[in-house]
Amino acid sequence: MIELSHVSKRFGDETAVDDISLRVPKGKFCALVGTSGCGKSTTLRMINRLIEHSEGEIILDGQAIDAYDPVKLRRRIGYVIQHTGLFPHWSVARNIGLVPRLLKWSTADVQSRVAELMDLLGLPVDEVGHKYPHQLSGGQAQRVGVARALAADPDILLMDEPFGALDPITREKLQDELAKLQARLHKTVLFVTHDMDEALKLADHLVVMREGRIVQQGAPLALLQNPADPFVESLLGGLERGLKQAALTRVKDHMTSMGPTLPAQSRIPGTFSLRQALSMMLRDHSDRLTVVDQHDVPVGELSLRRIIKEAQLDNGNPRE
Amino acid sequence: METRVSNSLSAAQPPKKAPQWLWPLLWGALLLISVVAMSAAEPLFRWLEPDAREVIYDRAELYVLLGRHLFVVGVAAVVTVIFGVAAGIAVTRRWGRDFLPLVAQLASLGQTFPPVAVLALAVPVLGFGTLPIIVALMLYGLLPIVRNTLAGLQGVDVDIKTAAHAMGMEPAQILWQVELPLAAPVILAGIRTSITINIATAALGATIGASNLGDPIISGIVNGNMAYVLQGALTIALLALTVDSLFDVLQRQLRARLSDG
Repeated sequence: MIELSHVSKRFGDETAVDDISLRVPKGKFCALVGTSGCGKSTTLRMINRLIEHSEGEIILDGQAIDAYDPVKLRRRIGYVIQHTGLFPHWSVARNIGLVPRLLKWSTADVQSRVAELMDLLGLPVDEVGHKYPHQLSGGQAQRVGVARALAADPDILLMDEPFGALDPITREKLQDELAKLQARLHKTVLFVTHDMDEALKLADHLVVMREGRIVQQGAPLALLQNPADPFVESLLGGLERGLKQAALTRVKDHMTSMGPTLPAQSRIPGTFSLRQALSMMLRDHSDRLTVVDQHDVPVGELSLRRIIKEAQLDNGNPRE
Repeated sequence: METRVSNSLSAAQPPKKAPQWLWPLLWGALLLISVVAMSAAEPLFRWLEPDAREVIYDRAELYVLLGRHLFVVGVAAVVTVIFGVAAGIAVTRRWGRDFLPLVAQLASLGQTFPPVAVLALAVPVLGFGTLPIIVALMLYGLLPIVRNTLAGLQGVDVDIKTAAHAMGMEPAQILWQVELPLAAPVILAGIRTSITINIATAALGATIGASNLGDPIISGIVNGNMAYVLQGALTIALLALTVDSLFDVLQRQLRARLSDG
């Protein structure tokens, strides 16, 4: 668990982070969103003490971070940055094995852990392990960056715009993989981004920052339904908000049982989002979709009226 | 993992090996021939100086002078490398950053001082002989090393240093495992410049009684014997070329190691 209470950071006269409090429960994914220079990266760096905070308290797993030795603290926290920061003179395998080696694991343990992580992140060990960072594509390099951060199996993962420098297709792919990875590993993640779609897609908890302060925080749906001010609203996409909200809701949570009428021609898997359902309706000129399970067996249906009604009534948080 | 790196290195190298070592071997061989068998070229020098009594410098064997020359340059190089690199490291650490401008300025001051002036100032203090020339070479050779150490260390990508810190490396580990290996090509280039310049500058030692390859040159100038001057100059040039080409090979290997598996 990560807990910040009334934390501030001043550089000289300038206040970079101003009295922020937030809590990331164990196993949750929290995204810090804001325009550049809003203090989100500084906030992240205060947690692994790359920057010392000026005021307030930062608590990791029940203990204030000032009580930890900074070097030992950092070895317990995974850290991923935008331009990877991989060591160019080390092979991929050696880069990934860095923290386990710092922790004095045996060579055999380090090697098997490296192989395990490369497998986990879809990096072929024989093909990529001996390569050097400059021989990798952007996507591969960032996978190596994530693997390095996970190497010693830390509970906490800090990610500073990890996908910001990637092309849109690779970025989306890595986002999907990160979501899957998180569903498996349940790390406590603090993720900094300026890309609201990325944040909405990945986060359980969203924190919007502006000029060093937290403007609003809460579940993504709650923010979409109730933005605190015009800044948050514009960050959330203004008129696109409705679609973003639909993107967070799964078809199978809102489908109705099969009606007496003939099933609709268009089929959509229940795991897709309402946004994708809307898009499919527009594409197929249809106001009704048949919902199918993973074996393509119809399990229910979804109508346009239903989607609109849901948007009106939806005040809860159907996203678990 | 270490062995894997070196394996892939040696696997990549054999095709390059021959041309890489060609130049240092060639210059080295020519240097050896010239210090051992300069007298074989007597007809050539005789043609140059038909009236001189002697055309082959024989007050000392050239290889003895070469040994002294190497000793002076070597001692100065060891001291300057140790002090230069250490100073460069010290002022790029958090605790030494205040001294960065001072050290940078002192080092460039050393370079603006003509070596002859250093010698003139050193003789009254240190007397004649080898010591003043070593001091002069040290002052003179320090700048390229300090400057390149600073440039090399400051040139290491901030993201890489941040990552090294964030992964929980100790400052000393970051220095030895990350910063120095990445700065090494630039630092080595500074050492190369420093030593190559000093090989030439050391010849000035002959003017203050430090016997080395400058002797034939000075003696040739004093006696108006161009053959002597040529013998000294030729040997010094071959020495400089040998050492410089050795550094070239070293730098290539280092670069290959940093950029490729």
